[in-house]
Amino acid sequence: MFLTRFPINPARRGARKLLASPQAMHAAVRAGFADPADYQRPDSRTLWRLDTPAPATVHLYLISPGRPDLTHLVEQAGWPTTATWDTRAYDPLLATLRPGQRWAFRLTANPVHSGRKTPDTKETQRFGYLRAEEQEQWLLQRAARCGFTVATQQDGRPNLRLHQRQTQSFKRGTQPVTLTTVTYDGVLDVTDGQAFRTALTSGIGHAKAYGCGLLTLAPADGAATGR
Amino acid sequence: MTVLVLRLAGPLQSWGSSSRFARRGTDIAPTKSGVIGMLAAAKGIRRTEPLTELLGLKFGVRLDQPGQILRDFQTARSLDGRASAPLTYRFYLSDAIFLAGVHGDPALLHDLAEALKRPRYPLYLGRRSCPPAGPVSLGVHDITLDDALDSWPWLASERFRRRAAPTVRLEVVRDARPGEPSAETLPDEPVSFDPAHRQHTWRSVLRRHVDVPNDLAERAGVTDHDPLSLLGG
Repeated sequence: MFLTRFPINPARRGARKLLASPQAMHAAVRAGFADPADYQRPDSRTLWRLDTPAPATVHLYLISPGRPDLTHLVEQAGWPTTATWDTRAYDPLLATLRPGQRWAFRLTANPVHSGRKTPDTKETQRFGYLRAEEQEQWLLQRAARCGFTVATQQDGRPNLRLHQRQTQSFKRGTQPVTLTTVTYDGVLDVTDGQAFRTALTSGIGHAKAYGCGLLTLAPADGAATGR
Repeated sequence: MTVLVLRLAGPLQSWGSSSRFARRGTDIAPTKSGVIGMLAAAKGIRRTEPLTELLGLKFGVRLDQPGQILRDFQTARSLDGRASAPLTYRFYLSDAIFLAGVHGDPALLHDLAEALKRPRYPLYLGRRSCPPAGPVSLGVHDITLDDALDSWPWLASERFRRRAAPTVRLEVVRDARPGEPSAETLPDEPVSFDPAHRQHTWRSVLRRHVDVPNDLAERAGVTDHDPLSLLGG
């Protein structure tokens, strides 16, 4: 597995197109792999996410089974001569994950539940959770099967912060797509190494092609346990 | 040095400093004329009476919770619905909290603090439709105006504080002392509130910032999440 960071130059027209449409970004990410097996393998797949660490700064993070070549992205949405992308091997980190570790995490996800629009409707469909409490519950419930629990704050609430809660609309071909996305920031405790590894490499929740489901880790300050 | 400390908070506030005609704006901070007017109302000074004793007060305000600007588009009609009143835009600050300090003669300040507890005329935050939430007066204290604005505990709501950064930078706007550099002037020094000939002169103000620690800030590594830092060179 590889983790890639690609700085996007938001001043370029190509970047505007990619930032406006997860469908376009999905296609661009997909095109970064010569061999389809590098994009998707049975137990892992390519996940991506857009982060805005500062105003007018956008980073594209990518986790993929193979090493990507993002030259086409640099040409249309990057800085071709100075900043290109940075790819690092992810397996060394994955190998060290074990229960009891504490990490700061970030996840952009698509919290949904499925149901029927009216009791008479034949088919079920997915509905996004729009309220912050429901979105929080969605992650807390899902955490156990992903091999982690969200740490608790001093005041007893989960150490979790939701931001960039939004409903995105874009076109897939001619069809409109509507997605509810939310970015979770917080601190987690690993409870099951294998399940956690699977969650990191194959993503959490739905809409993984559209920039959801990529969970990344960072050092949790004051809690460096057993690395 | 004696300062009367005020907490200006309410669902809506509206501090007009330069409104004209059908567009009634709001400043982002309480105006001196608005607050002096509120103190005059508390004491029961009528609009036609002179403001003499309130004219020498020094004023400063800290933007503890800036709030959001709300636009109200008014389409009032006459009772029978035939005639339309002028279409106006009125602007408000919603969910804002300010700390204000008034410096002046100690006896007068104690008098004003008493009057704020039992005001003669209703108190409002800039516009009659904007009543204050909670007591306005936080008492008279023996400190300088600068110290009051610098060191008074942060008044923002718990919800606002939890979402803010570990250290918050608040803007302070206060009367400039004579000779202070880089002061700006606003038409905001009240002379008379008489409806027949309302009068303001120019007021020099100084803007600066104070840093306030925020013990309620949520620690979640929000700004500096760097996944590559774990993976070495």
